[in-house]
Order: sequence, then C-alpha cells, then structure tokens
Amino acid sequence: MSFLQDLLGSQIVQLVVLGAALLGAMSGILGSFAVLRQQSLLGDTLSHAALPGVCIGYLIAGERQLSLLLPGALVTGTLAALSVMLITKRTRLKTDAALGIALSVFFAIGTVLLTLIQAQGSVGSAGLSSFLFGQAAAITKGDISLMIGTGTLLLGVVLLFWKEFKLVSFDPASAQVLGLPVLALEGALTLIVAIAVVLGLQLVGVILMVALLIAPAAAARQWTRSLSSMVMLAGLLGAVAGAGGALVSATGRGLATGPVVVLIITGIVLISLLIAPQRGILWQARARRRLTKRLPAVTVPHDAKRRKFPIRGVKRG
Amino acid sequence: MGNTLEQVDTHEPGFALHVEDLTVTYGATPVLWDIDMDIPPGVMAAVIGPNGAGKSTLLKAVLGLLKPVAGHIRFLGRPLSEMRQAIAYSPQRQSVDWDFPTTAGDVVEMGLYGELGWFKRPNREHRARALAALQEVGMEAFAERQISELSGGQQQRVFIARALVQNTPIIILDEPTAGVDVTTENIILELMKRLRDRGKTLIVVHHDLTNVQAHFDWLVMLNVQVVAQGPLNEIFTEENLRATYGRRLSP
Amino acid sequence: MITASIILTGVLASASAALLGTFLVLRGSAMMSDAISHSIVLGIILVWLVTRQVSGPIPILGAALAGVLTVLLTQWLAQSQLVRMDAAIGLVFPALFAAGVLLIALYAREVHIHTDTILLGEIGFVWLNTVPLAGWEIPLSIITLSLVLIANLLFVGIFWHSLKLATFDPALAAALGLFPSTLYYALMTLTSVTAVAAFDAVGAILFVAFVIVPPATAYLLTRRLWLMVCLAIGLSTAACVSGYALAVYWNVSIAGMMASMTGVWFAATLLLAPQQGLLAQLLRRRKARLEHDCRVMLAHLLTHQNTAQVDEENTQAALTQHLNWPQPHANAVIKRALEQALIEKNGNLLRLKPAGETAARELFARR
Repeated sequence: MSFLQDLLGSQIVQLVVLGAALLGAMSGILGSFAVLRQQSLLGDTLSHAALPGVCIGYLIAGERQLSLLLPGALVTGTLAALSVMLITKRTRLKTDAALGIALSVFFAIGTVLLTLIQAQGSVGSAGLSSFLFGQAAAITKGDISLMIGTGTLLLGVVLLFWKEFKLVSFDPASAQVLGLPVLALEGALTLIVAIAVVLGLQLVGVILMVALLIAPAAAARQWTRSLSSMVMLAGLLGAVAGAGGALVSATGRGLATGPVVVLIITGIVLISLLIAPQRGILWQARARRRLTKRLPAVTVPHDAKRRKFPIRGVKRG
Repeated sequence: MGNTLEQVDTHEPGFALHVEDLTVTYGATPVLWDIDMDIPPGVMAAVIGPNGAGKSTLLKAVLGLLKPVAGHIRFLGRPLSEMRQAIAYSPQRQSVDWDFPTTAGDVVEMGLYGELGWFKRPNREHRARALAALQEVGMEAFAERQISELSGGQQQRVFIARALVQNTPIIILDEPTAGVDVTTENIILELMKRLRDRGKTLIVVHHDLTNVQAHFDWLVMLNVQVVAQGPLNEIFTEENLRATYGRRLSP
Repeated sequence: MITASIILTGVLASASAALLGTFLVLRGSAMMSDAISHSIVLGIILVWLVTRQVSGPIPILGAALAGVLTVLLTQWLAQSQLVRMDAAIGLVFPALFAAGVLLIALYAREVHIHTDTILLGEIGFVWLNTVPLAGWEIPLSIITLSLVLIANLLFVGIFWHSLKLATFDPALAAALGLFPSTLYYALMTLTSVTAVAAFDAVGAILFVAFVIVPPATAYLLTRRLWLMVCLAIGLSTAACVSGYALAVYWNVSIAGMMASMTGVWFAATLLLAPQQGLLAQLLRRRKARLEHDCRVMLAHLLTHQNTAQVDEENTQAALTQHLNWPQPHANAVIKRALEQALIEKNGNLLRLKPAGETAARELFARR
C-alpha cells in the first residue's frame, strides 16, 4: 500500500492519472454517440488527420505551443471529416473507403510537412513519435485545466442537446421530418468527437485514441438498457481504464501510458462481451443450453427466428 | 385531376398532399420522372409499384429528405416548412439500428421531440401520451421492453405508435407491413383503417398486392412515372397493374 | 541507380497494394487494411522474440499471421452481434497494436524495431540493404516486393472470375461452390504479406494509402473491373514517380510524398471525373433542371396560345412572375428552347414552333 502511496505522492503521477481519467471519461461519453451512429472509425480518421494540422500549427508558431497545435489539429481533423461526408454523399464509394482515403491522405501530407519541420532542424523524429504514441509524462497543470474546461463545456453541450442527439443517433430521417437541423446536429457530434481526439493525442497518441473512443462505449452497451446509463457507464469505464493505465505505467519499466490504458479497456470489453447479463456470450450459451434441456422436442416458433436474440425471446415469450 | 400546368402557382388547399412536376435523379438515371399527384384528405392511400419504382424515394422527396431536381410540394395547400407539425412519418423499419439502447416507450416519446422544442425534457404528461399511443397499437405491455427484444411486427407497431403520438392529420408510412406475418399485418392494416375513420389521411408505401383492394381506398401506381392514380375501385385494374409492373406481374 | 531502386521499390509496393486494394474497396473492407497494417507490429515482435529475426521469410509469415488473426477476431466479434463491424475493427487492431508496442518496450529495446519506422518506413534507404544476384547488387526490398507482386498477380489472375463473383455477389458465389469466405481469407492473408513486405519501404500507414486511394480513384473513372485494376496500378505508379520527383525537389519524405500524390489524383478525379465527378454531377443536374423546365414552359405556352391572355401569358415576364423563375433561369430556359428550335421569339411574345407544339401535346397526352 505504501508503494501506491509513494506513486500517488508524485505530482507528475497525480497529473498523468488525473489527465488519463479525464480523457477516458470524456472519450467514453462522446464515443458512445459515435459507436451508436456506426461511425466508430471516424475517430481513427480524425486522429490521423490531426497530424498535418499539428505540423502547420508548429510551422506557424515555430515551437511546441499547444495554443496553436490544437486548433491546427482541429481544423485538419474537421476538414477530413468533411471530405468523408462529401465522398460518401456524392460518390458510389462506401463509408469505409471514404474513411480510409481521408485517413491515409491527410496522414501522408502530415508526414511530408513533418519532414519540412525536421529540415528546419528544431525537432527530431521524437516529434512524430510523441504524436503517434503520446507523451503522457509531459502533461502539465495547464493541460489538465484545459481538459477540465473543455470537458465541462462538451458535457454541457451533450446535456443541453441530449434528446436531439439521441434522436439523430437513432433515426436521423425522422428527426429531419420533425424539423430538427439534422446536418448541424450531426456536425456538432462529429466536432465534439474531434475535440476529444485532439485533446487525447498528446496523452495517448493517434492510434490508441481510437480504442479510447470505441472500447468504453462497446463495453458499456453490453450492461445497459438506456442511452443515459450507457453514456454514464462508458464515461466511468473510460475513467477507470485511464487512471488504472496511468498508475500501472507509472510503476516504471518504461511502459508507455497509452498502450497500457488500451489493454486495460480491451480487457474490460472482453469481460463485458462474455459475462454481461442477457447479452453476454456465456449468458446466451447458458440460456441456449437450458432451453435445449427444457424443451427437447419443441421447435423454435417461427416468429422467434426473426429475433436478434432468439433464445431470450423464446424464454420470455 | 387533369390539372394543367397553369396551377404551378396555386396552392390546392383541397388536397392533403399535392405534388407537381416532381423529378428526382440519381446520377444520370431518373428515379422519379415528372410526378403529378394529388391525395385528397381522409383517405387511406397506397403507393404501389415494383422494386426500384421509386416508392420510398417519392416519400422522401415529398418530406424534404432528399433534394429533387424540380417539383412543387404542398400539404393542405401549404409548403412543408409550415406544415411539419401536421405530418408524422415512419421510415422503413430497417433504416434504423434496433440494437440502440432504448425502450419501446422511449421510441414513441421521440415522436414528441418536434413539438417539445429545444432544451425541454419530456415530462409525465408526454410519457402518458406515449403510453396511450402504445396502447392503441396493442403494445402497452411492452413499454419498458428493449427495442432489440421486440419481434419485427412489434417494432413496426412501435413505429406506428410513434407516428400516432404526434396526433397529426397526415401520416406517412414507408412499408409498415414489410417483413411481418399475416396476423400482424392485419392488425396494422385495421389500425390504419381506424385512423382513417377518424379523419386522418394516410399515405402508405405498400408491397402486398393481394390485400390492397381489401384495405385501401386510394391508389397511386408508380413506376418512375405515375402510371395511374385515383379511387382504388376505379384504378385497380389488370391493365393498370400490367402497365405498372410490366412483365414482372405474373399472370 | 539509387533513384531507380527507390522508385522501383515504390512502384512494386504500390502496385501490389493497388491490385489487392481493388477488391477490398469493392467489398467494403477497405478499413481492414488499416487494421492489418497496424496489427503486424505484434506479429513482427512476436517472431523476433522467438527467432531473433527481423527480416526474411519467417518474420513476414509471422506478421502475416497477425494480420489474419486481426481479420478472424474482427469477424468473430461482428458475428456475435454484440458490436457492429466498424466497432469490431476499432476494438481489435488498437489492442493488438498496443500489445506489440508494449512488448517492444519491454523486451526489444536493443533491436532496431522502431515503431515509427514500422509505421512510416524509410524508402530512402532501401538501397543500403542489398544482396548480390547474378552479378548485380540488388536491394533486398526489391526482391521481396517483386516476389510479393508476382504472388498477388498469380492469385488475382488464377481466381479472377471467382474473386469477381465473390466480391459482387457472395451469396451466389457460395451457392456455386466457390467458397467466397476462403477466398476472402486468402485475400486478407496476401494483404497482410504485402503489408509486411511493404512496411519497411513505405510504412504501415502509407501502405493504407496505396491500398485504398488508387483503387477508389479508379472506381470513380470506370465500372469495369479489369480496367479498374489497370487504372489503379497506373495511378499508383504515376504517384510514385511524381511523388519521388517532388520529394527530392522539396527535400521532404519520399514515401509521404508518394502517398500524398495518390491523394492529389483522387481529389482531381473527384472533382473532374467525366461521369461521376462533382463537376459533371453539377452540370448534369443543371441540365436536367433546364430540360425539365423547358417542358414546363412548352406546356405553359401551349395552354395559353389560343386564349385571350396570350399576349400577357406567353412572355418572358410571365415566366418569371407566374412560374416563380428567377430572371437568369428564365433566360436560360428560353435560350435552350430557341436553340432546339422548339419556340420562336417575336418581340416579347414567345410562340411554339411545330416541334415544340408536338412535344407539349405529348406531355399532355401522357397525363
């Protein structure tokens, strides 16, 4: 226990744990909407597309200054999201191709810009490495207050437009017929995910940010029956994984925070997929076994075959 | 009927839905071509036609869900923007993700989000209205049930309840009986008839030719163009069906 | 010589990628290539831990297995119906990637497996690692990539018809006994192998650009499969050559510039493609609108031509006032009808010509 106390006594560890927990909570909450809208991989595209923005911000600022890097990342991320929208709406290409195009092309432009910066001599390849994998230890108090401020703002937006976001995520066509500005609401949902991604980049890096957006939501979905409980649980699970990952990586041995956080949250997802009541794989297998034991001769009613979870339907009906 | 193009500017307040010169293209292919359509109030109208005839596209264009190349749309003589509160719409069942974490009651409540306006939460009264709508479709026992646990027919009825709760004079339904068994289909069709008898106008994309005659009283036969439209007993002829479905109609 | 070897490496890698990418894009599995290209990090480190080899056939095979594992896990997750396909992809590859990164950090610090090298590649240095072959010093990556390209060509060539069918109609392919899922896994295995072979040249993420972007560009230009494959390979070759030239000129990342050029081709095609480009769509839409309104005008003229209000109704002013057309649009419609000799203009009065009258009567007859 004293080891843990030592760990928590260190101010850097405190900051990293707090930052990772905040980020986990934020991306869990916002990622829920992305997952439900079947846009899980948009976070992947957004985070890769942030690279050229970071580089441009750096070229303008001439140094590593968050106030320019983050807006830059946000701008190119948004541009990438808009390109995805344009490609899917205006061509026969499918969403996954559009996501892949935006992701790889923006990232490629980013690497080109990065070599331009390196040619200026100020940063080595460490610049890219920290972008790809994050630099949790470099987190400052200012970063934490930025995250708290932005997080509160985003949470406020989500609460304020809760029922609109809910309807747009579930049934955008009906939302539009009811007179909601669907395009603006969908844009807002994409933008707040982009903001979360940009804030998370310096902590866990590009690739692992994807997991932080998807995994808490995917885990929470298995346990919950309403959007509000799913979003809250996703935030909680994200925070737990973030704080836990930061603590584990602080025990030393050179474990980077990002990968540890991702492995923890993936573990949580696996457990949820297996044992979550009613939906979980083990739960369904057990229900199926019971059913075959109890009703050896009865064939499954015609109606039940159409259900997504046939066994549960039969048991209850 | 038989209107001339001179009426482009008039409002036709006598019709629940008045469509003029509606053209929708996808790429170079026309999906809907020069649609003129009038549906009088208080009828239960079926829009029928073969696959790819543009039935769903017609509903979507009429509701502003996609942008037509040209066309005038009027609901009870007024443009859609002024009539949103008078129209309820239920899309095809497959168009939404039924694994969404929500209950049947919640889905019905969503129908009220339009009249609620920004920043307001549904209260007990709204909940009661949602339950009443569920009761009307015989689903009150399922209000707290996850939508993923409902059968296809039950999901359809939840969608119809969501249209009902809005209490609008015009109800537009896209394939409300697709993928349900005969019993459920009859329940849904009887329900729609009750609504019609209450003076509502129903505009329904329907795919089952065998029971059109028994349930609907107005017909729009569509195959990219309007082949025929009017009171069902005048229009529902073999000749018109053949013109609509072409060779696809087996004798 | 250096220039030639760099460009050749790029061309070989991008052609192999585009060849397979065509089918991935058509199947809607484009993002699987992204997932695979990340997961191979885990395969490479696992093979290194066991065999202490970073290059050669065994690491390639190991990494390819990691790619296949990604596909298997993703399919399994999606089939459980507990999460959607896109979420399944996003759950699997970051986890495998994170595990790979951690293993490198724990056990393989001393080896030169730099994660950013895997992700970005160093095409500029391919000529450093050569093997003697028939009296020539041939860069190793050129040999590896040539073999991979040959394998891909053979696969696509031999299974062309089955691949085509399995891509467009998996159900029919299965009914015909063509094992579409086996083909799919073979395709994914080859994608993994190509990713590993390409990663030290162009890196994992830029590999994704070569898999997705040239085939997607070709898809906007043609509907024929063989033409799409040829175009994709042609476009990626052009991207390699022009990308290399620009990279040298600006002194920037070669692989990055090559991949950026695929993006340039795509953007240009998206805008200008003859059938499906944005500009063509805009023009077509405008033309459809014009033609439609032209008929409306003919009908309008026909209705009024023998009435008392003819002088008032059959004028340009009436079109803007009664039909609510903006002035320029009314002008364009009239101009079009004049060009097609459907109407004639007599002072302010618009009059139907015989051709126009026939067209207008046909409109009414159809109603």
